Amino acid sequence: MIIRGGIVYDPANGIFGEEMDLCIDNGRIVEDAKGEVIDASGLLVMPGGVDAHSHIAGPKVNTGRIMSPGDSRMGTEPKTAVCRPSTGYTVPNCYAMGYRYARMGYTTAFEAATPIIESRHTHEELEEIPIIDKGALTLFGSNWEVMECVRDKDISKLAAYISWGLRASRGYGVKIVNPGGGEAWGFGSNVKGLYDPVPNFDVTPAEIIRALAQANEMLQLPHSIHLHFNNVGKPGNYTTAIETLELLKDIKPSRMRQIVHVAHMQFSAYGGTSWRDFDSQAPVIADYYNTHNHATMDLGQIIFGNATTMTADAPLEYGNARLLHAKWSNHDIELEESSGVVPLIYGRKMPINAIQWAIGLELALLTKDPWKVLMTTDHPNGGPFVNYPEVIALLMSKAKRAEEIATVHELVTKRTTLPGIEREMDWNDITIMTRAAPARVLGLEDKGHLGPGADADISIYNLKPEEVDPSKDYKLVKNALSLAKYTIKSGQVVSIDGEITATPEGKTYWVDAAVPKADMDRLMIDLKAKFERYYSIKMSNYMVQDAYVTRPMVIKTGEQVSEAVQ
Amino acid sequence: MRTITLRPLRAIGVPLEAEKISPDVFAPLSLSQIRSLEAFQGNRRTLIADHFKVEGDEAVALVEETTIRLEGDFSRVKRIGENMSAGTIEILGPVGMRAGSGMKGGLLRINGNADDWLGREMRGGKILVSKNAGNYVGSGYRGEKCGMRGGEIEIDGSAGAYLGEHMCGGTIHVSGNAGDFPGAVNQGGIIVIGGSTFLPGAEMTKGTITVRGKATVLPSYKKVEEIQIEGLAYQKYIGDLVENGKGELYVALG
Repeated sequence: MIIRGGIVYDPANGIFGEEMDLCIDNGRIVEDAKGEVIDASGLLVMPGGVDAHSHIAGPKVNTGRIMSPGDSRMGTEPKTAVCRPSTGYTVPNCYAMGYRYARMGYTTAFEAATPIIESRHTHEELEEIPIIDKGALTLFGSNWEVMECVRDKDISKLAAYISWGLRASRGYGVKIVNPGGGEAWGFGSNVKGLYDPVPNFDVTPAEIIRALAQANEMLQLPHSIHLHFNNVGKPGNYTTAIETLELLKDIKPSRMRQIVHVAHMQFSAYGGTSWRDFDSQAPVIADYYNTHNHATMDLGQIIFGNATTMTADAPLEYGNARLLHAKWSNHDIELEESSGVVPLIYGRKMPINAIQWAIGLELALLTKDPWKVLMTTDHPNGGPFVNYPEVIALLMSKAKRAEEIATVHELVTKRTTLPGIEREMDWNDITIMTRAAPARVLGLEDKGHLGPGADADISIYNLKPEEVDPSKDYKLVKNALSLAKYTIKSGQVVSIDGEITATPEGKTYWVDAAVPKADMDRLMIDLKAKFERYYSIKMSNYMVQDAYVTRPMVIKTGEQVSEAVQ
Repeated sequence: MRTITLRPLRAIGVPLEAEKISPDVFAPLSLSQIRSLEAFQGNRRTLIADHFKVEGDEAVALVEETTIRLEGDFSRVKRIGENMSAGTIEILGPVGMRAGSGMKGGLLRINGNADDWLGREMRGGKILVSKNAGNYVGSGYRGEKCGMRGGEIEIDGSAGAYLGEHMCGGTIHVSGNAGDFPGAVNQGGIIVIGGSTFLPGAEMTKGTITVRGKATVLPSYKKVEEIQIEGLAYQKYIGDLVENGKGELYVALG
């Protein structure tokens, strides 16, 4: 297949809007090819979108569905010759996830948090999401074994546990959510800061985060630790954010990437002492990112309207439910985590929501290097991913922002710097934030770029970048990005003008990290005792079997001594 | 004024999804176009003309000036007048579930019984029922925060359970009795019940419920003063205190 005459943005390979042809053979980008020709003359061409942080599969998504029957009625679409029926808006059914990502030109999405014990369900849902490639990050932040290794300062055993945990969950990387807080919540409390000890474990969140980061680098995992800070969603939490980032800056990365990826930074850039004097501290966070190079972030941008918050930060969800008098689901996940789900509505005229909305945009616009900022809405916590084109239009146009600011609560002008920000992003910035950077941050070498050998995941939009001024024609930008002219996944056209034409099944990435046998043996003694004494299921029933990951894409890493891990 | 009349050709078995029977849809169409409108019967695509004899004025008219008369047994015809914004529907006979659901304006007059979910999530307009109505009149579907938000429903007979559940506005008058739990989670609607009922206003936070007959009141309601309304003595209650509610409940004395 040849894509002819498109204006190609491939910033990872130094191509910034050049007219060129792309050749595809056997699902990959190649130098030269024959066959079908797609005419993309003058149209915007980018690598397929990569979403590095999205909640698309697993028990908490399903809980969200069960809690909101009203949501299921929004966005129903009947089946077609190609597609199965779609339902839902903030928590769509599995099929709709795949179709809607593909329609926007996205071809990869990673589930951002799954406890090991719940991973089988996560994979059952991932298997049913059509078209896109996916993976799941595994939760380690409040895990008993992790905290015991940290207490004993045994980083090699911790690395062995991560290796085992990734294999058990068929997971891709180390997710940490409110470290220690998930365990503290089991006793009805929370950890209040980096140095607040976890009940019964004699470790602090700071120790957990540092140890997991060190173990992550010891295993040379493709992705860094993926961190949901302590105190997320609380006024004044920007200090926790900066403290945590400072804590990690001396760790040496084992690969050419960040040491820590911060999830949904918008929820961690809050000033003030309560919701009354709550304001934006996004400029402080952005300054930190402008002067340090060890961290990346994704936005967690708020979208006005319905959302379903779902997180392993259970105390946060308890707070949400109480504050908003909303429906609340709470879940205790044995030795590993706790979690919560709360559906809510972000209102334009609600002062808190309006400021949150502005903070996300400030973070993106004030951080100079787009490689450090991924565009997400923390789907569906900030809002459903189908709204990405709206966020892109906001980032590209000051006029669009001014138009929106006029409709939101006026405190935005007093408590944030958004109205004064002049920056308008260009297509390079957008391609980096939605494609190149997420792939690099995750360590996906074949994604997010269009160099020879890359996966032939391409999005072509009905928009001529040489004629359209996104600053003025933001409506056109939003419309064009909402329904890609062509979405190509692994060399196959899957969507044309927003209509799904084929539903191939994507791959699931997971990481097989090898560790020395001695470490694994030491770990097994611990784990056997835990399964005998505490777990509700046996270790032999705990591991996700191959049958649940039918199209695996295994990335091998760590020391090449692997037979121990069984 | 344009009048279009539909009469069933035969008894309808599997219920018909008739959201197209609405002045908004009919107004700009000729009679033959109306006959060929689609209506799902179960999972089968059928046409209006497969079930009804369609007669009336041929010339198109404004929605406001369109009247649809439905004569006969429509008890297996669902969603009549869904989302209608103006005009009139007159039904001579019983009508099926979800009549006037999501209605925004106009008049829906039912000379007969109405089934469940009458005027669910209604926004405006008026529904009149000459006999009885089923459960969930003016309610919201599962998971919806608000049921009825505006408009008026008047029922000359009795109503079933969960009358006006999740109501956020509008008015419902029932001349007869109402089933269990009328005005549950009421958030600003007005409900008047001529007869008796059981446990009104559970989890009500705002709005008013008046019961002219007898009512068993929840223990989570606070008794306040006795007052006279239109010559009748009522006991006033405030609640539901479970939800810190400020709703007002009036139950006739004696």
